[in-house]
Parts: sequence; C-alpha cells; structure tokens
Amino acid sequence: MQFADQLKRKGSPMKIIVNAELCQGHARCLAEGPDVYVLDEVGYNSTSIDNVPPHLHEQARRGALACPEQAITIVED
Amino acid sequence: MTDVASGGSPRPEDVPVVDFDLRSQNGLAESNAAWAELRKLGPVAWSDDNGGAWIVSGYDAVTEGFRNWRALQSGRAVRTIPGPGGSPDLNPLNAVPTRTTGLLIPEELDPPLWKPYRQVFNELLSPKKVEQALYPRVRHWVTKCLDDVIESGECDIVDTLTSGVPAAVILEWLGFPEKDWHRLSAAFHNMASYIPGTPLADHYMSELDWAFDRIEEEVAAVRENPRDDVTSYLANVEVNGERTSYEFAKGMLNLAVSGGVDTTTSVASSAFVHLSRHPEVRQRLIDEPELIDSAIEEFLRVYPPARTHGRTVVEDTELAGFKLRKDDRVILSEVSACHDEAAFPDADKFIIDRFPNRHLAFGMGNHRCPGSHVARAMFKEMLTQVLERIPDFKVIEEELEEYPNCAALGGWSKAPITFTPGKRRL
Repeated sequence: MQFADQLKRKGSPMKIIVNAELCQGHARCLAEGPDVYVLDEVGYNSTSIDNVPPHLHEQARRGALACPEQAITIVED
Repeated sequence: MTDVASGGSPRPEDVPVVDFDLRSQNGLAESNAAWAELRKLGPVAWSDDNGGAWIVSGYDAVTEGFRNWRALQSGRAVRTIPGPGGSPDLNPLNAVPTRTTGLLIPEELDPPLWKPYRQVFNELLSPKKVEQALYPRVRHWVTKCLDDVIESGECDIVDTLTSGVPAAVILEWLGFPEKDWHRLSAAFHNMASYIPGTPLADHYMSELDWAFDRIEEEVAAVRENPRDDVTSYLANVEVNGERTSYEFAKGMLNLAVSGGVDTTTSVASSAFVHLSRHPEVRQRLIDEPELIDSAIEEFLRVYPPARTHGRTVVEDTELAGFKLRKDDRVILSEVSACHDEAAFPDADKFIIDRFPNRHLAFGMGNHRCPGSHVARAMFKEMLTQVLERIPDFKVIEEELEEYPNCAALGGWSKAPITFTPGKRRL
C-alpha cells in the first residue's frame, strides 16, 4: 500500500532504456549505480528496468550521466 | 585491411589549414597548449604534413569520429610516400607514420571481423575476470614492488611501481617468464617516447625489435606445445570455427603486451607527480578516501595516456559538418577532447569530484580499451598503497624526466622520489 502511495505522489515510474548498439562496456553506469545497473558476462549493459524504486533514482540518474557513449536514457515524467 | 594507394590527399576547401606537426611538440605542456590553440580555430582542421590529414580536436567531433567506424576505419593502410621514419604504414597508432609496428589485433580490425576477436579480449578482461582472477595479483605486485624499496626511503616511482606493476601483472597473466618482464616493459616504455632518427631512438628501436621477436617466439612455441596460460589460449583460440592464424595470434599477443605495459604507467606516473606538486589534493585524498574513484577519472581526463589515434576514410562521409573524402587520413585527438572547455567546464582545472566525467582516456566507440577494467584496478591499488604506506613522498623535481615526444603517448620516463621509510608487508 505504501509503495502505491509513493507512486501516486511521484508520478509515473522511472524507466531505464539502454541503447545496446551504443554501449561499449565502459562500465561507468555500474560504478555510479551499483544497485541499479546490471552488466552481462563480458561487462556490457544488460539492464532493463521499467520501475526503478525511488530510493535508487539518484543512482539511476548518475549511472546514465556517467556513460561516455550516452547509451542510457532515463524516462521519468 | 585497407589499401590506400595514394601519395597523399589534396587539401580540402573551407577548413582551417594549420601547420601541426605532432612530433615537434616537446613535452606535455607544449603539446596540450598546441591542442588548445588548435581548438580555437574550431573542432576540425587540416594539416598538409605527412601527406595530409584532418586533425580533429573538439570533443563532439572526436567522439563522432570514433563512432563512425563504417567510414573511418582502423584497418592498416599503406601510402606510397614514406613517412618521416621511412615507413609508409598507417595504422591506428601511427597518427604520424614513423615505423612499421607489428600488427595489432583486434585494434586494426573493423566489423565484421573485429567482432569475434574483440569478444576474445572482452571475455579475458571482463570486470568479473578482473575482480576474481586479476585483482589478487594486482594487490600482490603493488605490495611487493613497494616492499622492494620501502625501507630505503627513495626510488624512481616509474621504474619501481608505475612501470613495474603493469609489467608484472600483465606478463605474469600472459605466462611470460619473469626474466623477460623488465626488458619487455622497458622496450615499450621507451618506444613511444623518442623521436625517430636520434641515437637513443635507434637503440630503443632495436630493443623494440627484440620485444616483438620475443613475443613471436612465445607464440610459435605455444602453437606447437600449448601451456596452460593466456598466451597459449590466445595463440590457439578458435574464431569463426577455425584456429586463429599465426599472423593474428601474433597480433593479439602484440596488443596484449603493448596495450598494457606502458599506458597505465603513464597516467599513474602523472598522478604521482601531480600529487607531489599539489599537496592539497593529496591531503584531500588522504582525508576523504571515498574520493579516490572520481580522482582516478579526473587523473585519466587530465593525463590521458593514449593521446591520439589515426583512422583512414574508406568512403566519403561527414564529420562535424566537414566532408571527408575516401582515402583521407584522420587524426582523432583523445587528449584534446579530454581538455575541451565545450565539454568540461573549467577543463584546465583538476577537479577531484568532477561529475559527469565522460572522458576519452579509454577511447570511445567499438575500440574502447578492453583493458580499461584492469587498468583502473592497477591504478587504484597503486594510489591506495602509496597514500597508505608512503604518504609523504616527494618528487625530486630536478631529476624528473619527461617523454620528449608525446604525439601518441605522454608521460614521465623517470620520477625519482624520497619518502619516510616504511615497513614491508610481505
């Protein structure tokens, strides 16, 4: 119930979209967002999250900003 | 591979033309200043030097260039005019053609052949592999290299630590015997730094010949009798269903050795000199150790080891609005991009907690340095242990020696330090 209330207060869920063609495995997203981002076996971004928990929003944003290839889009309304 | 059967490219129109001979720049300060002057003319310029080349200095343009692998290729090209060192070969490392170096794989490959060879390196040097398999050896070698000098109160931090550690970590990982490590790492350490034609350069060129011969010797040996090490794995790896060719086996080993032994050395040496010259930065790192990761990224941005890379245009294309022609040569400058005020506010300042910091020290695009994870691990452990064990180290300024030529790779040849003696750990 509390989570649903939080959603109502903060608006639409935060979504992470990774452009796999741009990702080159720098792993800077993981460095800034260790609790958000997931890398595959060889260190390329395999994150796919439709609903980042609010306490991790800052990590999600920092991870996206840190990407040298600008391969990560954060969608939040 | 690309074949460019041309004597040189005609000067294009509507672009600033500059006299920009990378090899004439003496030392980092002069080189960085030259790039800053160039950026004032715009992100892209042209130089008639060495057969002509586009010189790309702006952050956005450099990244655009690295990402446009379709038109700006890394495959080795040949020009019919000899370069200053007598060799016409143009490859990604020869922003200015100097000598023929051994083929580097997958650095000199383009998609599609690039992909499976790149995957080989991705698997060997993934963040997970570095954490589990390589990091314990990084810690061991940093500890031991410092142990070797810590009771004496003095050393050349380049020879002892910043060159010694990457050499030990990488060459041990590859399986080279310890007796070869110093000579191999010195060969690559010295190769990048001397201007062709000088007597010292000739000596180091022959050492480089020895290094490539030594690597070839190991490749031949393990293709015959594989051992249980990374050299044997690389030299015999199956790609596209077939054992890799002898040439490509050599190419991968050449890259594994040369890519690793001098680059980390460069940025780590620069960082220690910086910390000696800026005690307030050093103190901040000691007081706030959580800043080490962002400090590492800022050292990489300010002192990127690999300063430029070359590309050959294989089909007419556009870059930052300029029209690049087939057979043109392009020089992309990571160092200039890293210092571009348009991308980094106060770019000339070392800002320990700068964020975001999307620098190009490890490149950009599909050839992003596959060793970046182990490089960061080595750099971090060296910084951590020095600040823990010899925190009052001081560089002897009068004895500092810089690479005289930093067209491709910048750094310190020697950085003698003194410090309060400490205790061995092993």
